Amino acid sequence: MTEILFKAIDTPNLTSLDVYEKTLDGYQSLKKAFEKTPDELVEMVKASGLRGRGGAGFPTGLKWSFLAKDVFPRYLACNADESEPGTCKDRELLMKNPHLLIEGMILCSYACQIETGYIYMRGEFWEYEELMDTAIEEAYAKGYLGKNIMGTGFNLDIYTHMGAGAYICGEESALLTSLEGYRGEPRLKPPFPAVEGLYGKPTVVNNVETLCAIPFIVLNGAEAYAAIGTEKSKGTKLVSVSGHVNKPGNYEIPLGTPTIDLIEKYAGGIRNGNKLKAFIPGGSSVPMLPASKADVPYDYESLMEAGTMLGSGALIVMDDTTNVVSEALCLAHFYMHESCGKCTPCREGTRWMYQILSDIIGRKGKPEQVELLNDICDNMAFKCFCPLGDAAVAPVVSSIQYFPEDYEELIASLKSEQPVGAH
Amino acid sequence: MDTATQTDTVTLTIDGKTVTVPKGTVVVDAAKTVDIEIPVFCYHEKLGPFGCCRMCLVEVEKMPKMTTACTLTVGEGMVVKTNTEKVEKAQKGVLEFTLLNHPLDCPVCDKGGECPLQDNTFKFGPPDTRMDYNRFNRDKATPLSPVITIDRERCIACQRCTRYSDIIEKDQALVMRNRGFQNRVSTFNDQPYDTRFSGNVIDICPVGALTNTDFRFTARSWDLTNSSTLCGHCACNCNMTLGARLNEMKRITTRPNDLVDDGWICDKARWGYDFTKSKNRIAQPRKQGQVVAIQDACSEVVVSLKKIVEAHGPNSVGFIGSGYGLNEDLYSYQKLFREHIGTNNIDHKTYVDTPGLPVTHFDLLDVETSDLVVLIASDPTEELPILDLRLKKAVERQGTEMIVLNDQQTLMDKYAALSVRYNIGSDGALLAGLNAVLQGQSAGSDLESATGVASSQLQLVAEKIKTAGKVCVIYNPAALTGSAIHTLKQCLATAGGLAETAVGAIPAAPVTNAMGAMDMGVLPDCYPGGVPLSNSDAIKAKWGDTAPLEKGWSALEMIEKARSGELKALVVYRSNPVVDFPGGRNVEEALGKLDLLVVHDIMETETAKLAQVVLPSNGPGFDEGTTTNIGGRVQLRTKGLTTDNPADWKIVSMIAKELGQETAPKDVHAITAEIAEKVGGYQEIKRSAIRKEGKNRAVVPSSNGATASEEIATGDGLILRIADVLFSHDKILDAESNLAHQFQPSTVHLHASDANGLGVQEGDEVSVSGNGHEVKAEVRISNRCNPGGAVLPKVSDEQDVMSLAEAGKAISRVTIKK
Repeated sequence: MTEILFKAIDTPNLTSLDVYEKTLDGYQSLKKAFEKTPDELVEMVKASGLRGRGGAGFPTGLKWSFLAKDVFPRYLACNADESEPGTCKDRELLMKNPHLLIEGMILCSYACQIETGYIYMRGEFWEYEELMDTAIEEAYAKGYLGKNIMGTGFNLDIYTHMGAGAYICGEESALLTSLEGYRGEPRLKPPFPAVEGLYGKPTVVNNVETLCAIPFIVLNGAEAYAAIGTEKSKGTKLVSVSGHVNKPGNYEIPLGTPTIDLIEKYAGGIRNGNKLKAFIPGGSSVPMLPASKADVPYDYESLMEAGTMLGSGALIVMDDTTNVVSEALCLAHFYMHESCGKCTPCREGTRWMYQILSDIIGRKGKPEQVELLNDICDNMAFKCFCPLGDAAVAPVVSSIQYFPEDYEELIASLKSEQPVGAH
Repeated sequence: MDTATQTDTVTLTIDGKTVTVPKGTVVVDAAKTVDIEIPVFCYHEKLGPFGCCRMCLVEVEKMPKMTTACTLTVGEGMVVKTNTEKVEKAQKGVLEFTLLNHPLDCPVCDKGGECPLQDNTFKFGPPDTRMDYNRFNRDKATPLSPVITIDRERCIACQRCTRYSDIIEKDQALVMRNRGFQNRVSTFNDQPYDTRFSGNVIDICPVGALTNTDFRFTARSWDLTNSSTLCGHCACNCNMTLGARLNEMKRITTRPNDLVDDGWICDKARWGYDFTKSKNRIAQPRKQGQVVAIQDACSEVVVSLKKIVEAHGPNSVGFIGSGYGLNEDLYSYQKLFREHIGTNNIDHKTYVDTPGLPVTHFDLLDVETSDLVVLIASDPTEELPILDLRLKKAVERQGTEMIVLNDQQTLMDKYAALSVRYNIGSDGALLAGLNAVLQGQSAGSDLESATGVASSQLQLVAEKIKTAGKVCVIYNPAALTGSAIHTLKQCLATAGGLAETAVGAIPAAPVTNAMGAMDMGVLPDCYPGGVPLSNSDAIKAKWGDTAPLEKGWSALEMIEKARSGELKALVVYRSNPVVDFPGGRNVEEALGKLDLLVVHDIMETETAKLAQVVLPSNGPGFDEGTTTNIGGRVQLRTKGLTTDNPADWKIVSMIAKELGQETAPKDVHAITAEIAEKVGGYQEIKRSAIRKEGKNRAVVPSSNGATASEEIATGDGLILRIADVLFSHDKILDAESNLAHQFQPSTVHLHASDANGLGVQEGDEVSVSGNGHEVKAEVRISNRCNPGGAVLPKVSDEQDVMSLAEAGKAISRVTIKK
């Protein structure tokens, strides 16, 4: 198994700088990086093929190279607002290896000529904020942060910032708005953060996992990283496997691993010897797929081709006891609750979807409501202000597409008293 | 702004029509130019793109997804489609979402008939909804402030109001709270939303969520008689629509004119018209306290005036007008006194000022196209509110820099690159210093001790003036002391002579038609059009050989001459000297000595109580004519209400007729035409030319008085500064006013060092005395002025703060006791 991000992750006291340095060549990449020019570092990350691990999968090096030329100060905002249902990979990194993130942020900041970085953490991560603050203090004490880092003249300050519990703040522009102290609502794009981000200045917004991959690339070279994975999906990916598997948890896999291997080999197979019915490969914001597609390689292109997305890397597994409508209802509730309310289709549509799905689950549904549900989703998809609206319809539309019989069963069973499939 | 990029255009196609618009235009606005309506809710041209309502989705060739036309900037060769099946489905879908939880209580909604939600649904919407759940119930009529009621069920969360509060008002007073379908427009901690410009959110709300509490349920919009009129409060002369029903004022709404108000009005404009139906109006003419016919009242005035002129000569008679009158009324009055009485005892103000400017007279639009604004002794927020919004826009969005020179702190300081605070009363010395520095000389060694301002600061001011391309100087002549206005004009002349800088000015006296009153020659030393008495040839050519050429008394001199017995008769028009003149109550005694006092006014005043003859003036809402705003823009104020009382000019005409005037003007337009003929600068001011947006009058020749060097006399006590307050509890905003919640207590603002010396604390109740009078006030240790000064906002007529000021003195001192 190739371990980059989770290497020695369970080492006791890895959160302390000493242990981190001894166990993992901690902060060794800095020296190598400072021997290069910032531009060379950006080129290196480009060559590694690393793509954003937050959900969109945009090439990281390319993103860095889009920063508005010669505009300073620039900012780095680390997106640690991990709130996508099913996703808990960043939490493990923050919890067990905070220095890896700090090291990654130093490298990114050096490459992008940034002197201020923020770690925007979801409100529920208060424990890890304390951990992170301690790690940051240690890094300052050791001279990895602050003024004139390792005598290079390069300065960097890193701050943690807690969100207040809004999923939307994981959307990069809403994150920046919230970080500025305003209500977390997405901003109009363009301008993109690379041009006008935090406080109107060029800003890099990267996911925790993305930044944590940088030290390996710098230390071992772009080629070493690019050697892992597929032709277009390079490196390793943390996947949070949840649902009806025997060993739910976070697993680091080389991109391109068949999804079925993730379920069977890593996560110990389906619970109770049941059969796989469906899976959502990339967190709640992407369409689900039926079991027949479980051999799809787990990488950006293959999943796209299969009609879904890799997203944040949260594989939600459902066995054959599941009625997918219950999954759709659960996620509809989530999106209704998390819609920021800025745009009309998302604000109103998520609630309407939830109302209809509740009726169907409660066996009060009418046959025409399935069609209505589909049409509401159509009126929302790609018509909302930000991707949250698109995300909200993905699991519902795909559940109707692949499992119409689950809806029919609930609607047809108006008089039946049978329990609905477990959830 | 760069003119080159402004003229750059982009050509695109919308629904097959070729459109050429300026670069940077959004597609929604581009479509309007070829009569294609793309429906919107959240988009407002003054607020810019936002894109939250999703109503304006369109298809654009080469774009994979539909996009919002309000956020999409036009591109060369762009092909936009607004009428495809896909777009129509999207529009129906968005409208269905928008109406999903809307109560559809149109039959009882104030917005009905003028509601974008109704209109868009009518044109683009689905005929029905597929929603069969109960609508989400939210708070109905909830006060957002004493004058604004929010109906949360009707709100479609377009955020126009919150963005207005953020972008235009710069307050962020109104915000969205909660999220998702539970989000709501609110304020921090549910405090009242009671800013100076809050009412504009009612006009921009695209549904009936934000309603005018005063107007709620009083009329259907289609039953209103709407007249395009002007605000008659401050000197910006904002355009507004007066909606009346059965000859009663029901509501005031905005009537956007970018050249004046930029589409907004202040709350005093919106809710400050209760006086049109006030019980305190002078309803009928009175003679010795008895109601008489208007003809009898006029005859009484004529008989008495004739008697006095015969016995004591024409100069025993005087006229004190005010900037509250229309050009036509003021012109008629000065003509009456010059032509039929034969005196120049004519004035409209208590401060020193002269007509004309030694530099270009800038319009309000110039504020935002200037590189530098220099604000002198002016407090737009309280005096000229709509200028406050324009300045914020200039500074925050147009890249204009602002310098503030004032003797008191104002809310504009926050937006200034540099704020210079001079000692109260030292404006003349400061401006003389600035003039010297602009001329490359030293500001003088005693500048700092005299003004409290370091000469390095003046150097910085001068440097900025010299290096800015376009400079707009805004000054309030009414807040300058002594003859500092002359020094200021010398400064302007010096700045105007700078090679690299284009300098213009806006004389920003706060009263409605202060500019018009100057232009109309309601002055003791100038004929209309700024013609000084020394120019006798010009005067005789226009006004005949008998036109009086002897300098008349100023308003303050007239009061003193009444006291000394030299002035026997006085006509006071739209002015209340007993409360508003320096000396305050002392004026009462002087006026009591007159043989004849005529007061012609809208409301009962302390001065009217002293008058032998009281004439009713109609005032805003009822009157019709022109006013000239601070930018020199002449606009037409039409009437929205009718009255049986004759127009003000008509009363003047009745008096003039009895005094021997042969031809009377047949209507107010005849006087407007006469002004165009007789008043320099007004040649182009024709009714037809000003009807829509108004028109700037041409330059009035500048004459400047000599500067007198005024030493600030040392003495005991603090130097008094009386500050204007927008919502002052006076005759116009009386106790019944909708804006009564905005009235403030009497306060005195002190510098901490003085408060220390006096041993007073924040909130202490003190007595402020001076000029033989005493005013009660609460202490505010706000450092609003430099040490040695005391700022008293003029919060009400009852407060009587003007009594503390010594008439005719550059400065007055007050003592403060616990």
